Amino acid sequence: MASEAARAPRVEGRRSLSNAALAKLFLTPSVAWMALVALFPVLYAFVLSLYLYQGRLSEGFGGLENYTEAITDDRFWSAVIATLVFTVTSVAAEFMIGLGFALIMRQAFRGRGVTRAAILVPWVIPTVISAQMWFFMFNVTPGFWNDVLGIGDFNWLGQPNWAMFAIVFTDVWKTAPFVALLLLAGLQTIPEDIYESARVDGATAWQRFWNLTLPLLRPAILVALLFRTVDALRVFDLPQVMTQGAFGTETLSMLVQRFVVQTPNPGTGAAFSTLTFILVLGVGVIFVRFLGREFVESTAGG
Amino acid sequence: MTGGFSGNRRKRLLNVAVVALLVAAACTGSTPDGGDDGGEGGGELVWAIGGAEAAPGGVHRTVAEMWNEENPDTPIRIEVLPDAADEQRQQQSLELNAQGDLFDVLGVDVIWTGEYSTNGWLESLEDIRADIEQVSIPGAFESGTWGGELWAAPYNSNAGFLYYRTDLVDEPPTTWEELSQVGIQIGEEEGIAPFVGQGAKYEGFVVNWLEYYWSAGGELYNEDSSQVLFDDDIAVQATEFMRESLEGGFYAPGFNTMMEEEARNEFQSGNAVFMRNWPYAYALMNDEAESKVAGKFDIAPLPTFSGTGTISALGGFNNAVSAFSSNKEAAKQFVLWASTDPEVQQTLATEASLPPTMASVYEELSDDPVMALLGQVLPDAKPRPPAPQWNDISVTIQEEIFPAYNGDAEAAGAVSEVHNFLNSTIE
Amino acid sequence: MGEQQAAIVERRPPIQRIGKALMLMLIFIWCLFPFFWLISTSLKLGNEALNSPDLFHGPFGLQNYKSVIEQDFGFNLRNSAIIAGTTTVFCIAIGALAAYALARLPIKRKILVLAGVLAVSLFPPVALVPPMYEVWRTLGLLNTYPGLYIPYTAFTLPLTIFILSTFFASIPKDLEEAARIDGATAFQAFWKVILPLAAPGVFAAAIITFVAAWNEFLLASTFAPRDKAVQTVTVAIAAFTGSVQFERPIGTITAACVIVTIPMIILTLIFQRRIVAGLTTGGVKG
Repeated sequence: MASEAARAPRVEGRRSLSNAALAKLFLTPSVAWMALVALFPVLYAFVLSLYLYQGRLSEGFGGLENYTEAITDDRFWSAVIATLVFTVTSVAAEFMIGLGFALIMRQAFRGRGVTRAAILVPWVIPTVISAQMWFFMFNVTPGFWNDVLGIGDFNWLGQPNWAMFAIVFTDVWKTAPFVALLLLAGLQTIPEDIYESARVDGATAWQRFWNLTLPLLRPAILVALLFRTVDALRVFDLPQVMTQGAFGTETLSMLVQRFVVQTPNPGTGAAFSTLTFILVLGVGVIFVRFLGREFVESTAGG
Repeated sequence: MTGGFSGNRRKRLLNVAVVALLVAAACTGSTPDGGDDGGEGGGELVWAIGGAEAAPGGVHRTVAEMWNEENPDTPIRIEVLPDAADEQRQQQSLELNAQGDLFDVLGVDVIWTGEYSTNGWLESLEDIRADIEQVSIPGAFESGTWGGELWAAPYNSNAGFLYYRTDLVDEPPTTWEELSQVGIQIGEEEGIAPFVGQGAKYEGFVVNWLEYYWSAGGELYNEDSSQVLFDDDIAVQATEFMRESLEGGFYAPGFNTMMEEEARNEFQSGNAVFMRNWPYAYALMNDEAESKVAGKFDIAPLPTFSGTGTISALGGFNNAVSAFSSNKEAAKQFVLWASTDPEVQQTLATEASLPPTMASVYEELSDDPVMALLGQVLPDAKPRPPAPQWNDISVTIQEEIFPAYNGDAEAAGAVSEVHNFLNSTIE
Repeated sequence: MGEQQAAIVERRPPIQRIGKALMLMLIFIWCLFPFFWLISTSLKLGNEALNSPDLFHGPFGLQNYKSVIEQDFGFNLRNSAIIAGTTTVFCIAIGALAAYALARLPIKRKILVLAGVLAVSLFPPVALVPPMYEVWRTLGLLNTYPGLYIPYTAFTLPLTIFILSTFFASIPKDLEEAARIDGATAFQAFWKVILPLAAPGVFAAAIITFVAAWNEFLLASTFAPRDKAVQTVTVAIAAFTGSVQFERPIGTITAACVIVTIPMIILTLIFQRRIVAGLTTGGVKG
């Protein structure tokens, strides 16, 4: 099929590029832009991580010493656990709520425009503001949620587990709309007639959802899960503002920030960054393998 | 098909037009010539300082204007940094690390002296040392020195106060244990919390903990920072006091997530008997329109464990000269002037209630209750060691002792970790 | 689609309609309640009211808004709009090309390319700052618009490309074939057939890119921290100071936040119809 399309213009006598060359042409601007801007900090960090530092002063080549020290540091593993707990719970919750929102946003009813805009509001508020806002609401002084729920002096942010709950809750509130947006756009590509024929065949709403919607939504779901997961693995602002990393909420990015900004040690900071990068990349690549199959199937000989 | 497409074409043309407009606006938008070069040549000085007082209407602006009147050929301009000290340090660090000459005078927190000077970012102020040393409060002066050299000129200071409710307490106790008993008793009667302070996991917590540790007789380093004098037993005592206070109800619920503002809001709403906070809260809480406790509170020196004397942590800001400044002489004159000119120091106090670092000003202003108490407390205020690794030390204390006072770790183990870390800073 | 759905809605029993109304109300409360808190706090005056947990604790007034406007917040709005807008335009323009290539054209080791595209945006942002600051400084890109929209585009391209590729891939190939047979070049096929059908995806990607650039804080506060000619809204809000040291100016912060969010809500109200525009223009049904 593809070769037919490739042949068609040539048969017409039009000068055109082969598909492979076209692909390279289309890809180049993006790849070049991203490489130029984003590649050098990564390489810079990797090189930096091979040197030892006392504060900001270089002490010479250290090889992988920064890495061995990082991996044997308890704080690193606590941060990994905190990050994973945060990621799994928040992405799962965001996905389910986001899917629900998307299904609602797609329907036609009076006031749907306003509903859709309302659903997106949590996401358009800048993160630093949301974090401060929810900190204020969760904090036991002045105790906004405590008043509303009538539970006296519950210290949400000042105890283990509940501190993590508060952060996950805030993130879910903030980011479910983003997932909803992606899934909604995905829902739009499913033609109506498929549902019509299914309805005619007597399929229930649940059967239509499970057997038609979900499979056809697979690419959009994968993209949403992928980007939410890699973002959640690098969360920084929320725990920084709401708990300062106390009570088991110190994430990997906070650890990186500690050694890049707070108590600067370029070698250690770069080592933690690279380790975080490898972890996040690993998770991302797993998703990409699933996604890639979708694309590979859609182009013959691709 | 064509109908649909022409509709699309119109839309597309519109989109293209919008795009073109945006791109044109972006490229020709009123961006300044890359990089700020207002400070080079022409003798203009740039003062990198942040916070409420650096904004229009703030006292730093007044000081800058005072300088500009007397020194028209080397005027000074304020580059307003963010409010939070950490952000200020980050923005200064980025520029100084790149050895940029954007800033001439730097507003540095008292705890950054060692770090900045070891990084080679500051110009030594030894040649103007004598005059400054003569007029400044000893603690404030010490906070600007490292390795025996003066690197930053004292500008304004800060010390911790004990705030107490005059309608509930006649005389505030002078020991922490007594304060705890009195506080709990009155708190029960009135149905409010006995005590609020800074207990969240940040630098403010370290300040509070150090105040307990020092007032029990503990030390960190010796005079020239060559020896570690950390006392494990005293440190455990301080930590255990905090833990018992948190569990026993002396500390308000939520103490472990409180910073300065949370504490002030609680006390100001009438929900606490005692508070540990900086002087800034005094004026705010005496505002009749805003505060439920206006006129019903007073300030006193912080108690100790022994009952005699008082200790509080020294805060404040100093002025330093950037090692990469293109106008070092003028900058040095400015920091010298800001430290030693009585008018400047008095203006800080009268206009903004910023505690001055010039000792004589306190005698002048002894009518003001805040200034009077400061004059009493400041001679005994202890600076945190302005060591280059202070941030490391502070973070270590936060990481070890914060869980300990919350009951999530053993005090003895936590304290010995801190001791080990302090030892490692001397090697 | 609209009419069919509307017809079905009419036939639903009242209990379902009530249930639906309840659910909508729940959604509104969940999403908008904190925004309502923002508005209420921004209208409060004076220390005491601001820090009281009671939403309706007065006094109220527009003081905070006045104060925000006096701080030249209009400039920040303009800056953010230009930077976010330019980022979106560039991202969509070059991202769509790359997405088309990934979805339709043969590429060797496609998965590798996808992984590479993704990898770019994965580095912990806070560690990017020191090296980028030095380079930007040398290139004179500090305090300029390009200094911000260049990295924003670079870091948002992966998401844009992924969203658009999935959309392009889901469009049936026969439409494109038909256009080609009718004599269109690859580019015309892309422009006239694929792009309109992928409109929901394009608009979703555009909104996501715009909002991401608009709300970005770390790079904005590093590359354009203080210069009002380039400073964005997030950095400006973070720089608000109270009247004295330590005081947190919640009033002005929430007022600025409301000012910032309202244009975004208007934008989403306008564009939400685009995202849910069905496949009606000469599309699948034809």
